[in-house]
Amino acid sequence: MDASERDYESKKEIVLVIGGGVAGIGAALDLAGAGQTVHLVEESDHLGGQVSKLDKLYPTDHCAFCPLWTDIKRCMEHPLITVHTLSCVKELNKETAGSYSALLLHAPRYIDEKKCTFCGRCEQECAESAIHPGWEHLCPPSFVIDETLCTKCGNCARICPSGAIDLERAVEEIRLSVGDVIWATGFKEADISHLGEYGSGSHPDIMTSMEFEEWISEAGSNRGAVITRSNGTPPAHIAFIQCAGARDLRMIPSCSAVCCMHALKQAFWVKRRNRKIDCYIFYTDLRTVGRDYYRYSLREFEGADIKLVRGRPGLIHPLPDGNGIAVQFENTMTREREIRRFDMVVLNGNIQPSLIQHRPAHPAGTAAPRTDEEGFVVEESGNTSDCACGFGLQPADVPESVIQASAAAMRITGKRSNPG
Amino acid sequence: METIAVFLCKCFGEIDTAVDFDFLTGELSNDPSVAVISTIDSLCLESGMAKIVSLIKETGSDRVLIAACSPLAKGGFVADSIAEAGIERHKIGLVDIREGCAWIHGDDPGGASRKARDLIHMGIASLQNGEMSDDMTVTVHPGALILGAGPAGLAAAVSLAETGFEVALLERSKDPGGMLRLISRCYPGDENASEKLDPYIKEIEKNPLITFYPQAKIMSMEGDTGDFTATFSSQGKDISIRSGVIIVATGAKIFFPAGLYGYGELKNVITQMELERQILNGSLETKNTVFIQCVGARDTKRPYCSTICCPISLKNASRIAGDVPGGSVFVLHRGIMTPGNTLEKYYRDTLSGGVQFIRFEEDNPPQIGGGDHVEYVEVFDAINGIKRTIEADLVVLSTPLVPNTDNVNLAKMLGVDVDSYGFFSEIYPMHPLETKTDGIFICGSARWPVSSDDAILQGKGAAIKAVSYLRQSEIAASTLSRVPGSKSGHARVVAESCTGCGNCVAACPFNACGLERMNSGFVSTVNMMRCKGCGNCVSVCPNGSIQIPEHNYRMVGEMIHMAFQGWEL
Amino acid sequence: MNQPKILIFACKWCGLIGADAAGKRRASLPSRFRVIPVECASLVETDAILRALAGGIDGVAVLGCHMGGCRYNNANHTAVKRLELLQDLLDTTGIGRNRLLLSFGTAHEGYQFEELIQGFFDELTSLPPLDPWLSPFGVTR
Repeated sequence: MDASERDYESKKEIVLVIGGGVAGIGAALDLAGAGQTVHLVEESDHLGGQVSKLDKLYPTDHCAFCPLWTDIKRCMEHPLITVHTLSCVKELNKETAGSYSALLLHAPRYIDEKKCTFCGRCEQECAESAIHPGWEHLCPPSFVIDETLCTKCGNCARICPSGAIDLERAVEEIRLSVGDVIWATGFKEADISHLGEYGSGSHPDIMTSMEFEEWISEAGSNRGAVITRSNGTPPAHIAFIQCAGARDLRMIPSCSAVCCMHALKQAFWVKRRNRKIDCYIFYTDLRTVGRDYYRYSLREFEGADIKLVRGRPGLIHPLPDGNGIAVQFENTMTREREIRRFDMVVLNGNIQPSLIQHRPAHPAGTAAPRTDEEGFVVEESGNTSDCACGFGLQPADVPESVIQASAAAMRITGKRSNPG
Repeated sequence: METIAVFLCKCFGEIDTAVDFDFLTGELSNDPSVAVISTIDSLCLESGMAKIVSLIKETGSDRVLIAACSPLAKGGFVADSIAEAGIERHKIGLVDIREGCAWIHGDDPGGASRKARDLIHMGIASLQNGEMSDDMTVTVHPGALILGAGPAGLAAAVSLAETGFEVALLERSKDPGGMLRLISRCYPGDENASEKLDPYIKEIEKNPLITFYPQAKIMSMEGDTGDFTATFSSQGKDISIRSGVIIVATGAKIFFPAGLYGYGELKNVITQMELERQILNGSLETKNTVFIQCVGARDTKRPYCSTICCPISLKNASRIAGDVPGGSVFVLHRGIMTPGNTLEKYYRDTLSGGVQFIRFEEDNPPQIGGGDHVEYVEVFDAINGIKRTIEADLVVLSTPLVPNTDNVNLAKMLGVDVDSYGFFSEIYPMHPLETKTDGIFICGSARWPVSSDDAILQGKGAAIKAVSYLRQSEIAASTLSRVPGSKSGHARVVAESCTGCGNCVAACPFNACGLERMNSGFVSTVNMMRCKGCGNCVSVCPNGSIQIPEHNYRMVGEMIHMAFQGWEL
Repeated sequence: MNQPKILIFACKWCGLIGADAAGKRRASLPSRFRVIPVECASLVETDAILRALAGGIDGVAVLGCHMGGCRYNNANHTAVKRLELLQDLLDTTGIGRNRLLLSFGTAHEGYQFEELIQGFFDELTSLPPLDPWLSPFGVTR
């Protein structure tokens, strides 16, 4: 049989991929490569998900955006992939055997990215500072209006030379009939301020790991310099707290899989930028399972004296003199208890699958996936409205998410070739 | 006479406030090769594009130069749109006079204007001197060659056959199943390993699209993306198979820890695989069992975590704890590696199932004691800070999976890389199943130690990657790009001047250059299916015999010449 | 006062992204530099660099991706070795290594590109101008 006559290709049924992070992008590209028609739905204004917020990736220590933006570009340019940004799936219902109907909501994109020339006059004109550039590595770049600040005064629309701004755009509803669905909804950070011992929210220098990533990012406002948020000077001591909220029966019983390597990566970069900063990582088990991860954790480059302490701090509290943060812990390997002063504390581990945070706004309908008590999608065999990959399925790093995405794409493509 | 149509974009004042367009137009009109200079408010709008297309047709220009914003902004899109209007892509030049000029020299209009003029002259030079690379097309052989019939290879084979493609599945041993045949039950669901394998094995037996070749030994590999030829022997016959893609699923080897913890010296010190065998054939006899983790792993010789040993110990420890009442089960570890939700729950459940865990440090490992068979294990409990002596009838050593010894050879035959550990290398972590050679994929423990579940996922993943190649009846080399869009070009050899020194062969990151014997010696040849147009060969060639036509030395020389026209202050 | 001229070979990935980002943030740079984009820094021939210097360009910069980050399977590793060797040669011939600026992965942010190029200008300003003693041979329009 000629390759172009293969049966599955004649099925123009859409595969709906929900979530435009690395997993969603991987699944979309694999499906499109196999001749399937894909609609990729992403709630933010650009593809890339959590990885697009990272400064560097482990274990290569490369910039995170570089491999990502080329795959995003491929997705945007692929004739078989339709990308819906600023969109979410409001309803997913089972229709006749083997098909589903999806109701997508498009939030209005006031600035048409196809017409925007990135001149920036709208940003200057806006009195509310509601306009800012979108994700830096989008090709082509465009500006975005923050709806929460916009007063619809119309000044930006008047000054835009290419007529790209239309403030009258409204929420659009799009109904799609799809054959299969892949959930690639990834993770979000969870609020752990109710877990009192972590001191989350009690001091400007107690940050989550994603906040810290942005704070020390080369592309960020500090240009890679490691300074405290409270007074802008380099910290002397930073504590990375692992399993904050995770492996914790009160909140997230699971291990979030990515945090140990993430903390090591951040600590190594802090050291690279300023040898003098003392970095402590408080861990329970240092999970370095993937390719080259263990050796990464051992890296002894000059001055990379990162102190690994096995223990979960019992108390993290701003010091009353205003000079730093106290961390009280027991080093379980030496059984010594200590209280140490740190200038910054990075909390790692409080990440949960996005779907748990969307309840009850979680897609309604008869084909919404079943999720377990932690919010991970439960795949039921024989059902392809709940193929899942990436963190939406289980805690997974980039390579694992992408592998799962490819496997999900194969599952659907294989099923379509063999309906019997 | 070559005619170039030059289009200058004002970008609604973003460019022409800093760059003097009258000056530019004046300078360019003196150039005899410029047929028309047109200034447009905004090239990327429909009206702008329409104007460009009609002007090109009117003047009959065969080359187009666009001076506008950066190729990372709308510039690339404009060039592509013009290509759609009929001008060959390599005859469209793009010069950035916005991000690279007007926007950064706003306070020096004179300098900005001269720079814009120079950049445009450089663009014209590149258009006039750039040439088009050769290309080649390969008819894709619509079948896959899968090396290894463990869970990864089986999953890949079944997936590809399900999609309608022929599969040749090679396996070194007599039966399919890989290491999964040697295992009793799988974690974490406690599935029976042979029940897990059965559907795959049945499929390869009954599906006419899959041909299984047992006892296969590869003798040679030829060909390239889309058309590989593997010659191998299988059960006494020599066979040659053509395939469009190759999936490497050759798995890994078990490490036997000779000399560690009394292995080979004391009876009843066994590896996990040996324990599996005893469980399978019912010969397991133990009362007090001790598992030791990281035996020969996470040390200086093998500085990696083998992923599966902790969950395997949890699996076998729980089983023994359940099956042997009154006995004790200890797991001595340096950190239990159970990332994620399922595995972490597995760990919690094992903890409450009566298995005891003791943590030791790398520099103070457990000591085995006994006469001719093990009797006790001494371990320094790092958490409690005390030395403990555990009665032991059976000590099970968790050893890592290690790369197959012939990985290096196989990699050479295929033209892929192995990493410093000896496992097959992927190109980037974001493309973990792909290698530096298009059409060759890696999955399972050949890539990195994984569980059978993950091996199956990777096999499926490799299969979908293979599908995107196999479904094309032909592949043009120029489409095998590492970047969005087509390749920038292929290297081309001028045979007359090539001295056959071989620098390019050594320098090529994709093994695309080779030496061919000619009458007078050797000459370099470029395999376009492998060449990515990076140009490493160009810069190591002693006499410029190898060039990328789109970026040849005449072009570069001319661009340098035009860069600072007149050497003004 | 010498007003140097700089020629920059920037790889289309890390190199050009930095230059582009500098443009997007309206960095302010002297206008006497020109950029030639290349697919990979490994494509920048020694010949081209010498030709530029011999033709009177005061400094040449080669911008590539950081080590291990090259899309072309570490082609930039060879490039770095070769170009560092060229820097040594430039020293021995009296031209000086500081006329060849290498940046592999350190100029992919706009402000990094800006600082790098401004610094190069400042450095070259303190050096005497290179008189063009060789016009690029064999190339006619």
